[in-house]
Amino acid sequence: MIRNMATSESIIAALGCTAVQRWRTFQVTGRLAGRAVVEALSPRFYGNSATRSVVAKQIYFTAWQILPAFTLFAAMLSFVLIEIVVSTARDFGLSEYALEMTVRVLVIEIIPLLTALFVATRSGAAINTEVALMHIHNELEGLRQAGIDAMRFELVPRVIGGAVSVLALTAISSSVALVIALLLVYGPQPWAWAEFGQVLARIFTPLSVIGLWLKVLLFGVVVTVIPIASGLQVPRKLFFAPIAVLQGMVRLFFVLMLVEVGSLALRYI
Amino acid sequence: MADEAARLEQQAALADAAWVSPDLPLRANLSLLENIAIALQYRLNLPSDNAQARSWALLEQTELTAYAHQRDCDLAYSVRFAGKFLRALVSEPPRLVIDRPALLLPDIPYPRWLPAFLDRLNGVQPPLPPCLALDYTWNQVLWN
Repeated sequence: MIRNMATSESIIAALGCTAVQRWRTFQVTGRLAGRAVVEALSPRFYGNSATRSVVAKQIYFTAWQILPAFTLFAAMLSFVLIEIVVSTARDFGLSEYALEMTVRVLVIEIIPLLTALFVATRSGAAINTEVALMHIHNELEGLRQAGIDAMRFELVPRVIGGAVSVLALTAISSSVALVIALLLVYGPQPWAWAEFGQVLARIFTPLSVIGLWLKVLLFGVVVTVIPIASGLQVPRKLFFAPIAVLQGMVRLFFVLMLVEVGSLALRYI
Repeated sequence: MADEAARLEQQAALADAAWVSPDLPLRANLSLLENIAIALQYRLNLPSDNAQARSWALLEQTELTAYAHQRDCDLAYSVRFAGKFLRALVSEPPRLVIDRPALLLPDIPYPRWLPAFLDRLNGVQPPLPPCLALDYTWNQVLWN
Protein backbone atom coordinates (compact mmCIF):
# COMPACT_ATOMS: atom_id res chain seq x y z
CA MET A 1 0.00 0.00 0.00
CA ILE A 2 2.76 2.42 1.07
CA ARG A 3 4.87 1.37 -1.89
CA ASN A 4 1.95 2.05 -4.28
CA MET A 5 1.49 5.52 -2.82
CA ALA A 6 5.19 6.26 -3.17
CA THR A 7 5.11 5.10 -6.81
CA SER A 8 2.11 7.23 -7.68
CA GLU A 9 3.70 10.22 -5.91
CA SER A 10 6.90 9.82 -7.90
CA ILE A 11 4.91 9.55 -11.14
CA ILE A 12 3.05 12.76 -10.30
CA ALA A 13 6.33 14.46 -9.37
CA ALA A 14 7.92 13.34 -12.66
CA LEU A 15 4.90 14.60 -14.63
CA GLY A 16 5.06 17.90 -12.76
CA CYS A 17 8.79 18.27 -13.48
CA THR A 18 8.19 17.57 -17.18
CA ALA A 19 5.34 20.08 -17.29
CA VAL A 20 7.45 22.78 -15.59
CA GLN A 21 10.37 22.04 -17.94
CA ARG A 22 8.10 22.28 -21.01
CA TRP A 23 6.64 25.52 -19.73
CA ARG A 24 10.16 26.96 -19.25
CA THR A 25 11.14 25.87 -22.75
CA PHE A 26 8.02 27.54 -24.10
CA GLN A 27 8.80 30.72 -22.15
CA VAL A 28 12.43 30.92 -23.32
CA THR A 29 11.43 30.23 -26.93
CA GLY A 30 8.58 32.75 -26.82
CA ARG A 31 10.75 35.44 -25.22
CA LEU A 32 13.49 34.92 -27.80
CA ALA A 33 11.05 34.97 -30.72
CA GLY A 34 9.39 38.11 -29.34
CA ARG A 35 12.73 39.86 -28.88
CA ALA A 36 13.79 38.85 -32.40
CA VAL A 37 10.60 40.26 -33.92
CA VAL A 38 10.92 43.53 -31.95
CA GLU A 39 14.61 43.92 -32.89
CA ALA A 40 13.94 43.03 -36.53
CA LEU A 41 11.37 45.81 -36.74
CA SER A 42 13.58 48.34 -34.95
CA PRO A 43 15.75 50.58 -37.19
CA ARG A 44 18.20 50.94 -34.26
CA PHE A 45 19.15 47.28 -34.62
CA TYR A 46 20.38 47.79 -38.19
CA GLY A 47 22.27 50.96 -37.17
CA ASN A 48 24.95 48.93 -35.39
CA SER A 49 27.68 47.73 -37.74
CA ALA A 50 28.56 44.74 -35.51
CA THR A 51 25.02 43.30 -35.49
CA ARG A 52 24.68 43.98 -39.22
CA SER A 53 27.84 42.00 -39.87
CA VAL A 54 26.51 39.00 -37.87
CA VAL A 55 23.25 39.08 -39.88
CA ALA A 56 25.26 39.19 -43.12
CA LYS A 57 27.46 36.28 -41.99
CA GLN A 58 24.40 34.24 -41.06
CA ILE A 59 22.82 34.83 -44.47
CA TYR A 60 26.13 33.93 -46.14
CA PHE A 61 26.46 30.63 -44.26
CA THR A 62 22.77 29.69 -44.35
CA ALA A 63 21.73 30.75 -47.85
CA TRP A 64 24.58 31.92 -50.09
CA GLN A 65 26.97 29.05 -49.41
CA ILE A 66 24.38 26.39 -50.30
CA LEU A 67 22.54 28.30 -53.02
CA PRO A 68 23.94 26.47 -56.11
CA ALA A 69 23.59 22.98 -54.64
CA PHE A 70 20.15 23.63 -53.20
CA THR A 71 18.85 25.24 -56.40
CA LEU A 72 20.12 22.26 -58.39
CA PHE A 73 18.44 19.87 -55.95
CA ALA A 74 15.16 21.84 -56.12
CA ALA A 75 15.33 21.85 -59.93
CA MET A 76 15.87 18.09 -60.10
CA LEU A 77 13.10 17.37 -57.60
CA SER A 78 10.73 19.74 -59.40
CA PHE A 79 11.53 18.12 -62.76
CA VAL A 80 10.82 14.61 -61.47
CA LEU A 81 7.62 15.53 -59.58
CA ILE A 82 6.21 17.67 -62.39
CA GLU A 83 6.97 14.94 -64.93
CA ILE A 84 5.19 12.34 -62.76
CA VAL A 85 2.12 14.54 -62.20
CA VAL A 86 1.88 15.67 -65.84
CA SER A 87 2.23 12.15 -67.31
CA THR A 88 -0.20 10.63 -64.76
CA ALA A 89 -2.73 13.41 -65.41
CA ARG A 90 -2.37 12.80 -69.16
CA ASP A 91 -3.05 9.06 -68.67
CA PHE A 92 -6.26 9.84 -66.81
CA GLY A 93 -7.33 12.56 -69.24
CA LEU A 94 -6.85 15.31 -66.65
CA SER A 95 -4.11 17.29 -68.44
CA GLU A 96 -5.89 20.60 -67.95
CA TYR A 97 -5.54 20.26 -64.17
CA ALA A 98 -1.92 19.05 -64.20
CA LEU A 99 -0.27 22.47 -64.00
CA GLU A 100 -2.52 23.79 -61.24
CA MET A 101 -2.09 20.62 -59.20
CA THR A 102 1.69 20.69 -59.64
CA VAL A 103 2.04 24.31 -58.60
CA ARG A 104 -0.27 23.92 -55.60
CA VAL A 105 1.58 20.88 -54.26
CA LEU A 106 5.14 21.76 -55.23
CA VAL A 107 5.41 25.52 -54.83
CA ILE A 108 3.00 26.09 -51.96
CA GLU A 109 3.66 22.98 -49.88
CA ILE A 110 6.69 20.84 -50.76
CA ILE A 111 9.37 23.43 -51.59
CA PRO A 112 8.84 25.68 -48.53
CA LEU A 113 8.80 22.66 -46.21
CA LEU A 114 11.86 21.06 -47.82
CA THR A 115 13.74 24.36 -47.66
CA ALA A 116 12.95 24.73 -43.97
CA LEU A 117 13.98 21.12 -43.29
CA PHE A 118 17.22 21.59 -45.25
CA VAL A 119 18.12 24.79 -43.38
CA ALA A 120 17.11 23.15 -40.09
CA THR A 121 19.37 20.12 -40.58
CA ARG A 122 22.30 22.18 -41.83
CA SER A 123 22.24 25.54 -40.03
CA GLY A 124 19.76 24.77 -37.23
CA ALA A 125 21.93 21.94 -35.91
CA ALA A 126 25.06 24.11 -36.16
CA ILE A 127 23.40 27.02 -34.36
CA ASN A 128 22.08 24.70 -31.66
CA THR A 129 25.56 23.27 -31.02
CA GLU A 130 27.27 26.65 -31.10
CA VAL A 131 24.81 28.31 -28.71
CA ALA A 132 24.91 25.30 -26.36
CA LEU A 133 28.73 25.48 -26.25
CA MET A 134 28.70 29.26 -25.82
CA HIS A 135 26.28 28.85 -22.93
CA ILE A 136 28.24 26.01 -21.32
CA HIS A 137 31.57 27.87 -21.58
CA ASN A 138 30.02 31.11 -20.28
CA GLU A 139 31.02 33.01 -23.43
CA LEU A 140 27.76 34.98 -23.41
CA GLU A 141 28.56 36.33 -19.94
CA GLY A 142 32.08 37.15 -21.19
CA LEU A 143 30.54 39.26 -23.94
CA ARG A 144 28.23 40.97 -21.47
CA GLN A 145 31.21 41.88 -19.31
CA ALA A 146 32.84 43.44 -22.38
CA GLY A 147 29.82 45.71 -22.82
CA ILE A 148 28.13 43.63 -25.51
CA ASP A 149 24.45 42.66 -25.30
CA ALA A 150 24.85 38.99 -26.25
CA MET A 151 21.19 38.57 -27.16
CA ARG A 152 21.36 41.51 -29.55
CA PHE A 153 24.81 40.73 -30.94
CA GLU A 154 24.91 36.92 -31.11
CA LEU A 155 21.36 35.53 -31.01
CA VAL A 156 18.87 37.90 -32.64
CA PRO A 157 21.03 38.36 -35.80
CA ARG A 158 21.00 34.59 -36.23
CA VAL A 159 17.19 34.56 -36.12
CA ILE A 160 16.92 37.41 -38.62
CA GLY A 161 19.59 35.92 -40.90
CA GLY A 162 17.94 32.50 -40.73
CA ALA A 163 14.50 33.89 -41.57
CA VAL A 164 15.85 35.92 -44.50
CA SER A 165 17.73 32.84 -45.75
CA VAL A 166 14.66 30.58 -45.68
CA LEU A 167 12.60 33.26 -47.46
CA ALA A 168 15.28 33.77 -50.11
CA LEU A 169 15.94 30.07 -50.73
CA THR A 170 12.20 29.36 -50.97
CA ALA A 171 11.68 32.25 -53.39
CA ILE A 172 14.54 31.14 -55.65
CA SER A 173 13.69 27.44 -55.67
CA SER A 174 9.97 28.16 -56.17
CA SER A 175 10.81 30.38 -59.15
CA VAL A 176 12.95 27.61 -60.63
CA ALA A 177 10.10 25.13 -60.12
CA LEU A 178 7.65 27.46 -61.88
CA VAL A 179 9.98 27.84 -64.88
CA ILE A 180 10.41 24.05 -65.08
CA ALA A 181 6.62 23.59 -64.84
CA LEU A 182 6.10 26.07 -67.69
CA LEU A 183 8.66 24.31 -69.88
CA LEU A 184 7.42 20.79 -69.13
CA VAL A 185 3.72 21.55 -69.53
CA TYR A 186 3.79 23.97 -72.48
CA GLY A 187 7.29 23.69 -73.89
CA PRO A 188 9.25 26.81 -74.91
CA GLN A 189 6.20 28.46 -76.55
CA PRO A 190 5.75 32.22 -75.90
CA TRP A 191 2.05 31.96 -76.80
CA ALA A 192 1.48 29.74 -73.75
CA TRP A 193 2.77 32.36 -71.29
CA ALA A 194 -0.60 34.13 -71.08
CA GLU A 195 -2.39 30.89 -70.22
CA PHE A 196 0.33 30.03 -67.71
CA GLY A 197 -0.12 33.47 -66.16
CA GLN A 198 -3.87 32.91 -65.86
CA VAL A 199 -3.31 29.63 -63.99
CA LEU A 200 -0.86 31.33 -61.63
CA ALA A 201 -3.30 34.20 -61.04
CA ARG A 202 -5.96 31.65 -60.12
CA ILE A 203 -3.65 29.95 -57.61
CA PHE A 204 -1.82 32.93 -56.17
CA THR A 205 -4.63 35.14 -54.97
CA PRO A 206 -3.49 37.97 -52.66
CA LEU A 207 -4.71 36.03 -49.61
CA SER A 208 -2.95 32.87 -50.72
CA VAL A 209 0.34 34.75 -51.31
CA ILE A 210 0.13 36.39 -47.88
CA GLY A 211 -0.60 33.00 -46.30
CA LEU A 212 2.32 31.40 -48.12
CA TRP A 213 4.84 34.06 -47.11
CA LEU A 214 3.62 34.09 -43.52
CA LYS A 215 4.14 30.33 -43.41
CA VAL A 216 7.64 30.63 -44.90
CA LEU A 217 8.50 33.45 -42.49
CA LEU A 218 7.32 31.31 -39.58
CA PHE A 219 9.47 28.45 -40.88
CA GLY A 220 12.44 30.83 -41.04
CA VAL A 221 11.96 32.06 -37.48
CA VAL A 222 11.36 28.56 -36.12
CA VAL A 223 14.50 27.01 -37.67
CA THR A 224 16.70 29.36 -35.64
CA VAL A 225 14.66 30.23 -32.54
CA ILE A 226 14.12 26.64 -31.41
CA PRO A 227 17.80 25.58 -31.72
CA ILE A 228 18.91 28.77 -29.93
CA ALA A 229 16.37 28.30 -27.11
CA SER A 230 17.45 24.67 -26.77
CA GLY A 231 21.11 25.70 -26.58
CA LEU A 232 20.39 28.31 -23.91
CA GLN A 233 18.58 25.86 -21.68
CA VAL A 234 21.32 23.27 -21.45
CA PRO A 235 22.89 22.80 -17.98
CA ARG A 236 26.46 24.14 -17.88
CA LYS A 237 28.10 20.76 -18.33
CA LEU A 238 29.84 19.74 -21.53
CA PHE A 239 28.30 16.27 -21.74
CA PHE A 240 24.84 17.88 -22.01
CA ALA A 241 25.71 19.53 -25.36
CA PRO A 242 24.70 16.53 -27.57
CA ILE A 243 21.47 16.16 -25.57
CA ALA A 244 20.63 19.84 -26.17
CA VAL A 245 21.16 19.38 -29.92
CA LEU A 246 19.10 16.20 -29.99
CA GLN A 247 16.21 17.80 -28.08
CA GLY A 248 16.38 20.97 -30.15
CA MET A 249 16.29 19.10 -33.45
CA VAL A 250 13.38 16.88 -32.41
CA ARG A 251 11.41 19.89 -31.17
CA LEU A 252 12.21 21.73 -34.38
CA PHE A 253 10.99 18.84 -36.54
CA PHE A 254 7.67 18.65 -34.70
CA VAL A 255 7.12 22.41 -34.77
CA LEU A 256 7.86 22.55 -38.52
CA MET A 257 5.36 19.76 -39.09
CA LEU A 258 2.83 21.51 -36.86
CA VAL A 259 3.17 24.72 -38.87
CA GLU A 260 2.76 22.77 -42.13
CA VAL A 261 -0.28 20.82 -40.92
CA GLY A 262 -1.78 24.00 -39.49
CA SER A 263 -1.36 25.84 -42.77
CA LEU A 264 -2.89 22.91 -44.71
CA ALA A 265 -5.83 22.83 -42.32
CA LEU A 266 -6.37 26.58 -42.65
CA ARG A 267 -6.17 26.41 -46.42
CA TYR A 268 -8.23 23.33 -47.18
CA ILE A 269 -10.48 22.50 -44.21
CA MET B 1 40.83 36.89 -0.12
CA ALA B 2 40.50 33.85 2.10
CA ASP B 3 38.20 31.60 0.11
CA GLU B 4 35.51 31.34 -2.59
CA ALA B 5 32.89 32.99 -0.38
CA ALA B 6 35.19 35.99 0.07
CA ARG B 7 35.75 36.13 -3.67
CA LEU B 8 32.01 36.22 -4.34
CA GLU B 9 31.67 39.03 -1.80
CA GLN B 10 34.38 40.98 -3.62
CA GLN B 11 32.62 40.30 -6.91
CA ALA B 12 29.42 41.88 -5.59
CA ALA B 13 31.34 44.83 -4.16
CA LEU B 14 33.16 45.45 -7.45
CA ALA B 15 30.11 45.16 -9.70
CA ASP B 16 31.01 48.31 -11.68
CA ALA B 17 34.44 46.95 -12.65
CA ALA B 18 35.32 44.96 -15.75
CA TRP B 19 36.55 41.49 -14.81
CA VAL B 20 39.36 39.56 -16.39
CA SER B 21 38.46 36.15 -15.13
CA PRO B 22 39.00 32.46 -15.90
CA ASP B 23 35.19 32.23 -15.86
CA LEU B 24 34.80 34.73 -18.72
CA PRO B 25 36.37 33.21 -21.83
CA LEU B 26 37.00 34.82 -25.20
CA ARG B 27 34.57 33.95 -28.03
CA ALA B 28 35.87 30.63 -29.30
CA ASN B 29 35.08 31.21 -32.97
CA LEU B 30 36.74 34.63 -33.16
CA SER B 31 40.44 35.38 -33.45
CA LEU B 32 42.30 37.32 -30.77
CA LEU B 33 42.08 40.47 -32.91
CA GLU B 34 38.36 39.99 -33.59
CA ASN B 35 37.60 39.41 -29.92
CA ILE B 36 38.98 42.83 -29.07
CA ALA B 37 37.68 44.54 -32.21
CA ILE B 38 34.12 43.29 -31.81
CA ALA B 39 33.83 44.91 -28.37
CA LEU B 40 34.95 48.23 -29.89
CA GLN B 41 32.80 47.84 -32.98
CA TYR B 42 29.65 47.01 -31.03
CA ARG B 43 30.03 49.57 -28.24
CA LEU B 44 31.14 52.53 -30.35
CA ASN B 45 29.38 51.44 -33.55
CA LEU B 46 32.63 51.76 -35.48
CA PRO B 47 33.18 50.41 -38.99
CA SER B 48 34.82 46.99 -38.83
CA ASP B 49 38.13 48.20 -40.38
CA ASN B 50 38.43 51.04 -37.92
CA ALA B 51 37.75 48.77 -34.92
CA GLN B 52 40.30 46.24 -36.19
CA ALA B 53 42.92 48.97 -36.72
CA ARG B 54 42.49 50.21 -33.16
CA SER B 55 42.65 46.66 -31.81
CA TRP B 56 45.77 46.00 -33.88
CA ALA B 57 47.39 49.07 -32.30
CA LEU B 58 46.69 47.63 -28.84
CA LEU B 59 48.20 44.29 -29.86
CA GLU B 60 51.25 46.11 -31.24
CA GLN B 61 51.70 47.94 -27.97
CA THR B 62 51.64 44.63 -26.09
CA GLU B 63 53.84 42.93 -28.74
CA LEU B 64 51.21 40.32 -29.54
CA THR B 65 50.52 40.91 -33.23
CA ALA B 66 51.99 37.50 -34.06
CA TYR B 67 48.96 35.93 -32.36
CA ALA B 68 46.35 38.32 -33.78
CA HIS B 69 44.72 35.76 -36.05
CA GLN B 70 44.82 32.80 -33.68
CA ARG B 71 41.73 31.61 -31.87
CA ASP B 72 41.28 31.02 -28.16
CA CYS B 73 42.12 27.30 -28.22
CA ASP B 74 45.52 27.99 -29.86
CA LEU B 75 46.60 30.75 -27.49
CA ALA B 76 49.14 30.42 -24.66
CA TYR B 77 47.88 31.38 -21.20
CA SER B 78 49.64 34.75 -21.23
CA VAL B 79 48.31 35.66 -24.69
CA ARG B 80 44.80 34.57 -23.76
CA PHE B 81 45.07 36.69 -20.62
CA ALA B 82 46.19 39.68 -22.70
CA GLY B 83 43.22 39.15 -25.04
CA LYS B 84 40.77 39.12 -22.15
CA PHE B 85 42.47 42.12 -20.59
CA LEU B 86 42.40 44.18 -23.80
CA ARG B 87 38.77 43.23 -24.47
CA ALA B 88 37.88 44.44 -20.98
CA LEU B 89 40.01 47.57 -21.42
CA VAL B 90 38.25 48.74 -24.59
CA SER B 91 34.92 48.73 -22.75
CA GLU B 92 36.42 51.70 -20.80
CA PRO B 93 35.48 50.52 -17.30
CA PRO B 94 36.13 52.65 -14.20
CA ARG B 95 38.17 49.76 -12.73
CA LEU B 96 39.66 46.53 -13.95
CA VAL B 97 39.81 43.43 -11.78
CA ILE B 98 42.19 40.58 -12.53
CA ASP B 99 40.38 37.65 -10.96
CA ARG B 100 42.51 34.80 -9.58
CA PRO B 101 45.67 35.42 -11.64
CA ALA B 102 46.99 32.02 -10.59
CA LEU B 103 44.27 30.41 -12.72
CA LEU B 104 44.70 32.84 -15.60
CA LEU B 105 48.48 32.58 -15.71
CA PRO B 106 49.37 29.20 -14.22
CA ASP B 107 52.65 28.75 -16.10
CA ILE B 108 54.44 32.05 -15.43
CA PRO B 109 55.51 33.97 -12.31
CA TYR B 110 52.59 36.35 -12.58
CA PRO B 111 53.43 38.73 -9.70
CA ARG B 112 56.44 39.86 -11.76
CA TRP B 113 54.88 39.41 -15.19
CA LEU B 114 51.69 41.43 -14.54
CA PRO B 115 53.34 44.78 -13.69
CA ALA B 116 55.56 44.42 -16.77
CA PHE B 117 52.48 43.77 -18.91
CA LEU B 118 50.67 46.80 -17.46
CA ASP B 119 53.77 48.96 -18.07
CA ARG B 120 53.55 48.11 -21.77
CA LEU B 121 50.07 49.64 -21.80
CA ASN B 122 51.26 53.07 -20.67
CA GLY B 123 49.87 55.81 -22.87
CA VAL B 124 47.42 53.46 -24.52
CA GLN B 125 43.99 54.58 -25.76
CA PRO B 126 41.61 54.14 -23.95
CA PRO B 127 43.73 54.97 -20.88
CA LEU B 128 44.40 52.21 -18.39
CA PRO B 129 41.99 52.42 -15.41
CA PRO B 130 43.03 51.44 -11.87
CA CYS B 131 43.73 47.69 -11.86
CA LEU B 132 43.22 45.32 -8.99
CA ALA B 133 44.40 41.71 -8.73
CA LEU B 134 42.23 39.43 -6.60
CA ASP B 135 44.32 36.55 -5.36
CA TYR B 136 43.93 34.02 -2.59
CA THR B 137 45.70 34.69 0.69
CA TRP B 138 47.82 31.54 0.35
CA ASN B 139 49.43 33.11 -2.74
CA GLN B 140 50.42 36.22 -0.77
CA VAL B 141 53.94 34.91 -0.44
CA LEU B 142 54.37 35.10 -4.22
CA TRP B 143 53.57 38.81 -4.23
CA ASN B 144 55.99 39.53 -1.39
